[in-house]
Amino acid sequence: MVLARVAYLIGVILRWFGAALLVPAAVAAFDANRTEVIAFVVSAAASTGVGVLFRQIGEAPADLRRPDALAVVAFTYVAIALAGALPFLLVGLSFMDALFESMSGLTTTGGTVLTDFARYGRGVHFWRALSHWLGGIGVITLFVAVLPKLAIGGRELFFAEASGPTDEALTPQIRKTAAALWRVYTALTAAAVVALLIAGMPLYDAIVHAFATVAAGGFSPDPQSVMGYHRPAVEWTLTVFMFLAGANFALHYRAILAPSTRIFRDEELVAYIAIVGLASATITGLLVTKGGHGVAEALRLATFQVVSVITSTGFASADFALWDDRSRLLLLALMFMGGCAGSAAGGLKVVRVLLISRYALNELRRTLHPRAVMPVKLSGRVVPEPVMRSVLVFFLFYLLAFVVCAAIVTAAEGDIAIGVTGAIASLANAGPGFGPIGPMGSYAGLTDVSKGVLILAMWLGRLELMTALVFLGPRIWYDVRWRSA
Amino acid sequence: MQIVIVGGGEIGLGLSRTLAPRHDVVVVDHAAAIADRFAALDVQVLIGNGTNPDILQQAGVATCDFLIAATGMDEVNVLAALIARRLGSPKTICLTSRDDLLQPFGGRDLLREHVGVDRVVWPEGELAENIGRIVAVPGALDAETFVQGRVALLEYRLGAGSRLLTAPLSSLNLPRGVLIGAMRRHDRVLIPDGATRFEAGDKVFVVGLASAVAEVRSLFHHGQAPDRQRVTIVGGGNVGLLLAQQLEANAHVDVCVIERDSARAEVIAARLRRALILNGDGTDVDLLQAEDVGRSDVVVSVVDCDERNLLTSLLARQLGARRIIARVTRPANLRLFERMGIDVALSARGAAVAAIAHHVEGGPWSLLAVLEDGQAQVIEVPVPDGFPPAPLRTIGGLRGAIVGAVQRGGAVVVPAGDEVIRGGDRLLVVTGPDAEALRRLFSPSAAS
Repeated sequence: MVLARVAYLIGVILRWFGAALLVPAAVAAFDANRTEVIAFVVSAAASTGVGVLFRQIGEAPADLRRPDALAVVAFTYVAIALAGALPFLLVGLSFMDALFESMSGLTTTGGTVLTDFARYGRGVHFWRALSHWLGGIGVITLFVAVLPKLAIGGRELFFAEASGPTDEALTPQIRKTAAALWRVYTALTAAAVVALLIAGMPLYDAIVHAFATVAAGGFSPDPQSVMGYHRPAVEWTLTVFMFLAGANFALHYRAILAPSTRIFRDEELVAYIAIVGLASATITGLLVTKGGHGVAEALRLATFQVVSVITSTGFASADFALWDDRSRLLLLALMFMGGCAGSAAGGLKVVRVLLISRYALNELRRTLHPRAVMPVKLSGRVVPEPVMRSVLVFFLFYLLAFVVCAAIVTAAEGDIAIGVTGAIASLANAGPGFGPIGPMGSYAGLTDVSKGVLILAMWLGRLELMTALVFLGPRIWYDVRWRSA
Repeated sequence: MQIVIVGGGEIGLGLSRTLAPRHDVVVVDHAAAIADRFAALDVQVLIGNGTNPDILQQAGVATCDFLIAATGMDEVNVLAALIARRLGSPKTICLTSRDDLLQPFGGRDLLREHVGVDRVVWPEGELAENIGRIVAVPGALDAETFVQGRVALLEYRLGAGSRLLTAPLSSLNLPRGVLIGAMRRHDRVLIPDGATRFEAGDKVFVVGLASAVAEVRSLFHHGQAPDRQRVTIVGGGNVGLLLAQQLEANAHVDVCVIERDSARAEVIAARLRRALILNGDGTDVDLLQAEDVGRSDVVVSVVDCDERNLLTSLLARQLGARRIIARVTRPANLRLFERMGIDVALSARGAAVAAIAHHVEGGPWSLLAVLEDGQAQVIEVPVPDGFPPAPLRTIGGLRGAIVGAVQRGGAVVVPAGDEVIRGGDRLLVVTGPDAEALRRLFSPSAAS
């Protein structure tokens, strides 16, 4: 690992990240909120300044080796989380809270430490949504798409950040793939804004919610989340866009380019639709029989919550933390699983669940036929053994990370509901858990130890563990140099 | 007709044997040694390169009706066909050893539309298709269908308990719409008449409407037909893979493929959806026992090696498999296989020859099927318009042949002896290898 190169590339990204911080400054200026304008301008200047400094002392890489690429991706998220925390710090949050809020935003988790939403102006809420949007399909993907400087090693960077088990590019040139994904993402966001306006939301709220929805984030400027709007049309619109955000963007791209029913040959998509359908129907049934809701209302609430949780968005149109335990267990399982690979959603991913269950069923069959040759297939294609192995290893690490986080948070809080649901919600980048950290609650009351662990969990979850976990082991640190020569 | 065959290998020889009695055949091959093999046949052999325009010219390509490119090399075959199209206007038939030449290319058939070949024959594909047809009919040794599947021809072996052994053919009560078209005793194929008495071990060919033929099964096949068929295929080469693909499309068939080479096993596992693929040797008794191959309804051995196919088949028989189909590479071994108790022995060569002969002899007189290695055939005969109407049994020229079905307008009838044959009918006739008498009987000039 050559630190000067890593520093250089992170510097490039930080410089532009500073520019992004000026957008909420403009929103705050529109409201003539001086404190916030100053907070954002100072943060933008700091981010750009550090970026320029890093670029100066760093070394423009002629090529990018794997450890360097992993380091760039992993530490970019640390760097921008710190830069993004600055405005929160300046408007009065503690360091841990500011970092939690910033990391939660950029990893599209959506768990908040804010309790009194009215204390903060529209600038701050806009920044929370914008941080989601930047992180949704990937900060690195964005910069690979727009910065020629990242053309070198862009491929490594892109796949180190991309979610899901396969290295599938839409075009031979990775820059064009990244650009195509961002175009789809932007188009989807624009469509969401328009749809929300039609559904009756004011412009500012529509933009903020569109950002948080399409990124599968979950921050809402309303302390009661989407429930605060009391508009079924808004809820259904958000349901649709959350659902789309949880599907593979490469498929969206193909579907827009050449609309056909062929996209339904993608077994992950079919499984995703089936799971959402089944879970919604089950919870609708439970809400009608146990919760005393009407069928139409139950269907709306159930579908919204199911989609919100499986896509790891974390919006709530009802306080599902208060629902029947059966529904809550189902929601927790969906949160653990997450959406499709290559989407804005977090979690284990539907495709991995599919592959692991097929692998397990094959092994079951193999006990009967020891000589059988049974490759795992997905959408009619054989999944190569190394990919299958990485999927299994990912699953193990995911479980391990969950157990460790849940144990520490439970110990620190003395509350198993917070420990277990907080760990899943952070690791899967979903946001709200149950109990005090439920959709209407806040992470504010947690100890700093828990907040630290959950910040780490969000980071691990966003980077799909492996990219981040290598830095928690010693091996990658053996060969750290400042400069290459 | 004038036919030029490029390539004097096994398929060229088989084709010559089938076609030479009725057509002018010229065989082109670059190896002088092959002339000896054709010495017994009435064909002209030209030594030279089959892609050389002069040689092809000399063979009479400019005026011939068919050019059959049957060398072992696909590229040579395609080139020969291409040159022949330039020299004259024969219909061309190309043999290929790979399925990729059969795949569409740019949305169109590669050889047919881009090169202009009239018919591409892939011997292994033909073989797989034949085996698939036979497997689909429980108990049958051979199965063919005609007239868009409305008429079927099935071959069965008579067991000792069969009802057909009790009386001469004329007093057997066969189901309506079904006839016995031919039989084979030891190595001879006979066309039965009313006095024929069947013996255990005879093979009989049943012709009839596809709907009625299904009822015939009980005459030969004891016990209830199983709901599900278990088919074990030994050998995952082209034939094995194609057959497995064909069979697994039927939800009532469970397919298991045994393949020795682990890399090939991976390849076929990737291309098949439901079939169970085992990596192992088909001659490994332990494996066959462990996987209960003896409980299969059909075992198909299609390795590219006669010895292994024979051994696998015999092992499967020992373990109790109901029906055994084996691939034979060397034609001389065909008889041997059947004498060793293998129910059906087929070769890719034979399948290809039958397919080509069928194509060449199409037209008004179409050869629909070749049975028992050419000892009998099924042909479609149009009755000329001026033909005097007569009941079937009174038409003397039909001795030694069986009319299995009559197509009249859109209808298909399985005729009894009093069925009146008229001009315009199309007859489906099972006959011996020599159909000259029939030809004379139904030639348009004889009618007038």
